[in-house]
Parts: sequence; C-alpha cells; structure tokens
Amino acid sequence: MTLSSQMIQRSPIFFCLLTIFWVVPCVGVTLGLQTHQVTDPLGRSLIVPVAPVRVVSLAPSLTELVYSLGREEMLVGATLYSTYPVAARDLPRVGSYVRLDLERIIALRPDLCLAVKDGNPHHVIERIEALGIPVFVVDPISIDEIMTTVVALGKLLGALPEAKALAADMTARIDRVWTLVARADHRPTLFFQVDAAPMISAGDNTFTGRLIRMAGGENLAAGPTQYPRYTWEDILRLAPEVVVITSMAGGHQPEDLIGEWQKWPQIPAVRSGRIHVVKADFFNRPTERLVQGLEVLAALIHPELFPDFSDHHLILGATRP
Amino acid sequence: MSEQLTGGKHFGLATRLFLLCAVLLFILAVAILLGLGAGSSGIDLREAWGALLGQGEAVEQTIVRQIRLPRVILAGSVGATLALGGLVFQALLRNPLAEPYILGVSGGAAVGAICGMFLGLTPFPGVSLAAFGGSMLVLVLIILLAGGQAGFRKDSLLLGGVMMNAFCGAVIMFLLAVSHSAQVQQVLFWLMGDLSMITAERLPTLLLILPCFGIILALARPMNLLLLGGESASVLGVNVRLISLLLLATTSFMVSIVVSLSGLVGFVGLVIPHIFRLILGSDHRLLIPACILGGASYLIACDLLARLLSVGGELPVGIITALIGAPLFVFLLWRSGR
Repeated sequence: MTLSSQMIQRSPIFFCLLTIFWVVPCVGVTLGLQTHQVTDPLGRSLIVPVAPVRVVSLAPSLTELVYSLGREEMLVGATLYSTYPVAARDLPRVGSYVRLDLERIIALRPDLCLAVKDGNPHHVIERIEALGIPVFVVDPISIDEIMTTVVALGKLLGALPEAKALAADMTARIDRVWTLVARADHRPTLFFQVDAAPMISAGDNTFTGRLIRMAGGENLAAGPTQYPRYTWEDILRLAPEVVVITSMAGGHQPEDLIGEWQKWPQIPAVRSGRIHVVKADFFNRPTERLVQGLEVLAALIHPELFPDFSDHHLILGATRP
Repeated sequence: MSEQLTGGKHFGLATRLFLLCAVLLFILAVAILLGLGAGSSGIDLREAWGALLGQGEAVEQTIVRQIRLPRVILAGSVGATLALGGLVFQALLRNPLAEPYILGVSGGAAVGAICGMFLGLTPFPGVSLAAFGGSMLVLVLIILLAGGQAGFRKDSLLLGGVMMNAFCGAVIMFLLAVSHSAQVQQVLFWLMGDLSMITAERLPTLLLILPCFGIILALARPMNLLLLGGESASVLGVNVRLISLLLLATTSFMVSIVVSLSGLVGFVGLVIPHIFRLILGSDHRLLIPACILGGASYLIACDLLARLLSVGGELPVGIITALIGAPLFVFLLWRSGR
C-alpha cells in the first residue's frame, strides 16, 4: 500500500501506466460502452454495445460462428460441447445449452449473450435479460436462414464484411451442389441413422432432413416428426438404398454400427455396400460446416456426380459391395 | 445433543424445546451462510456477505441477491415442508414408509406439470399451476375414495395413494415415451427436483406454507394421541376424523405448493423425520419444529452441494438428497440398533 503510493509520487512512468491500464478501462466500463439499438432475428429490439468486448455464447453452433467470423477475442464464455474449433475448448464453460448455469454467466460480466431460440430454455434467457444483459437470439430454421444469421451476427459483432464473404462462399458451394444434383435422374432412398438404441432418424424439420433433400436423396424418415423412432422391422420394409450413420449414435465404434446393419443382407444398401458413418457435427449444427456436410451427403448419395470429392476424412467408416 | 434432549427426566419440555431450537437454528444459520457464500462461480463468504448488504461489485450483488438468495429461501422452504409432510403422514398412517408424496401428490403434480410443459406453458405461473392443479385433483379423489368409510381407514388411504402414484407414473412414462418434444430434458430435470427455476418475484407464493406450519404445530398434541391408534385417540377425546382430514388436507396443500415450484425432491420427507425420531423420541411437540428447521438446513446444504458439484450445468438436487440421505439414515439405524 505504502510502496505503491510512493511509487505513484516518485515515478511518472508508473503513473502513466496506471492511467492507461486502470483508469482508462474503468472509465470505459463506468461510462458504459457506446450502445445502439438492434433487432435480433426474432424481431425483438435490444440495446447492445456498438463494439461488444465480453460475449458469452450459449450454444456450440454460435461459438463456432463467432470463430468463423474471426471475432473469437470477444468470447469470454461458451457452453459445453463447444468443441469446434479446437481453441473453443479452452473457453470458460457456462453449463450445457439446455441447462445453462446462470450464476456463471453473470459472473463472467458479459455485455452481450448470444442464444438460440430452439434449445436454450426460455426462462433462463428472460432472467439474463432481466439482469440487464442483452441477449441476441437467433433462430435459423432453413438453410437460407443460416446465411442471414451469419450476416446478422456479423453486423452485431462488427464483422459485416467477413460475414458477407462467408455467406457468399456458403451460398456458392450450396449452388454448386444444387447444379450437380439437378443432373441426377434418380433420387436414391436414404436412411439417416441419428441414434442406434433406440433407432432414430431425422425428419423434414431438421437440418439433416433438409440436407438430404438438397443432396438429391429421398429421406425415408420424411414427415413432420423431427426425430422419429424405427424398428428393424420398419427398416426392412423401407429397404433403403443408402444408409448414413452419424458418429454420435450411442457412442459406438463405426465398425459396430455398420456390423448391426450387415446382419440384414436383405436391405439394398447392405447388398450394395452403401453404408457410411460420418461425423455428426457436420449435419446438426447450423454453421459453415453444415455446407461441408451437404457436400459429403451429396457425394455419398450421387458418387457418380462428384468424382472430385476429397473430404474423405469426414467419413469414419464405410462398407464396400 | 442427543443425550441432553432425550434425557427428558432432567429437563422439562420447554427447556428441551428451547435447546433443540437453539441448536437447529444455529445449524440453519450456518447452512444459509454457506448457501449464500458459495456457488458455481465461486465467490468467498465475506464478499458474499458484503454483497448481500449492498456492498461490493454490482455483479456479485446480483449473483448473491438475485440468484443465490431466492434459491436458498426456496431450498429451505421445500426442505422444511417435505420433512414436516413426512412426519405428519408417518404419524397419520402409522407407517414408517409413509412420505409426503404417499397420497399421490407427487404423481398428480408430475402429470400436471408435464402436460403443462408439453403444452408449452411458461414455468411460472403456467407449469406451477398445472402441477398444483394435478396434485389437488388427486388429493380430492383420494379423500373421496377413503372418506367413505368411517374415520379414514388408513389402509385404504395408503393403498389408494400408492395406486394413484403408480397410475400417474404410468401416465408419465407414456407421455415421455410417445413424446418427440424438445421438452423431454426439462421434464426429466423436473422429476429429479430442480431448484434453479426460482426468481425473487415467485417467492411470495411460499408464504402460503406458513399458515400450514401453524396448523400442524397446533395439532402436535392430538398427533401424539393418534400414534396410540384411532380408537384410543377417540376415547381420549380426539375427533379422529376431523383431525385426520385437517392434517391430510393441510399437508397435501403445502406439499403441492412446494412441488409446483421445485419439482419432485425425493427422500427429505423420509429421512429427516426418522433421524429426529431416533434422536428425540416420538413427541411431536419437539419433532415438528425439529423437522421444519432440520429439513430446511438439510435441503439448503444439499442444494449447495448440487451447485458446487455441477458438471454440465447444475445437478438436480433430488439426486444429492438421496445420495447423502440414504447412507446417513442406514448409519443411524445401525447405530440405534446396537
């Protein structure tokens, strides 16, 4: 205490440093960051800092998007399973996206939180807002809305040029798949296995379901139910031509997951060796990687149209005829 | 503590009551202080105390006053209510396995709450009201069912309650099995007991349990006589039917209130009354305040652990109450048997 007061009196350099490192940020905080009004994709208007400095992401997909926009220095917290990119694994955790830890979120002193409408509990979002922290809620449902979400986030985080470039790149890659798939004269039937026990697939109202359609496949689980359940009896009747299994399926090894299918040689996909295990993250998170998932899916459904397919590292296991 | 309090020959009731309350109030105060002082963001005790009094940084004040304080109050109220509920039902049904949920309060509340969640109601007041409605409906059914016979035959009450719970359990499993809703996780946490939903604005609801505590305290003497059995009690001038109905309705009402705010926190109502019976004997004039104060301390402590042990978000407190309560109870039982 006495030492530091002596130093202040004696050392002008120390005083300058003190001013720069302590007084300036304090003024910044106490005066409040410059704020402005924005509207989130849900149409709610909120007051947010023009240049946020402490952002907490409440969903893995949002963490991923912030990194894609090059604004990771703003992130001070993220939810569990924010595992991509690898650097995101070191961010302080604030619970899982369905079970947020309110106390930890508040303790990180965020000036902005990013949330998803589908998944983050509504009442926790309301409480964060009631405590004076703006929450920007996104709700990308269709593939196009992922691009608008990217642009909205870019605007919010001061990365509009990056966001527009990213959205344009994603759109271009999607268009390329569309153009190629349009040449196909047959839409092979596909069973997309999300979980093994019970056997669960993905319906129309999921990113996976939309990707299957865009990749030129006929989703056997099409329908309003998001994640319908199946038995082997159902699957034998459905007789899929292609099977895609995600790595998430019950924590099993790819070989085991494929082995379960190979017990049923009656299934066309088993006979023709078209059973593939892929990484789940590329099919259920509304991020840039979903486009990569689309490319993988299209190449698996229509291998003849994608002779230059090169993302083989995303395929964890496959059978041969 | 136990020697002093059970050695009733040396002390009068008033002295024992005073000693008991002093000890338990001290434990409760420690539990509250710890509950306010520690949490998933890890603030120390002194800072937390300062924050409660309005000193320190704004963020800490928010955490202590608006996140931890409502939780501690809820945990205390739920613990007190469930422990007291267990005590009443064990006396009323003269069955050591009776607990506050025995009459189907839990099953009815769960069916109500789950329907509310699947209908997309807000946690408060929507889901809470649905839970409360469900449990009240079951209570009325049970009383109509058992009330036909003179003086509430305890067997038909017990069996009716068990059957009602089993039926509600099946309905819950059915709803969970056929549901593809994203709400399933929320439902599971509710079924395991979840104190994280509480906010300061919802706390006044808990005031409704105070008159219930008062009624039960006033009925301590008749409850002692009920232990002798219905006939002996009526010979001694107790209106068994009226007292039973009053106890049933009051207890179920207060349990429904807390269940609607906290979900199903198990085991407190079973283990706390038995622990105090092992220590204090069977005088309800002592057991009632002991269960209120002890139950509150126990659940505050369990909730603190649940918050500290959080891995992916917080643990539901119902897991902790049973993990600690069951071994503790078995230990006490083993010691008392020697």
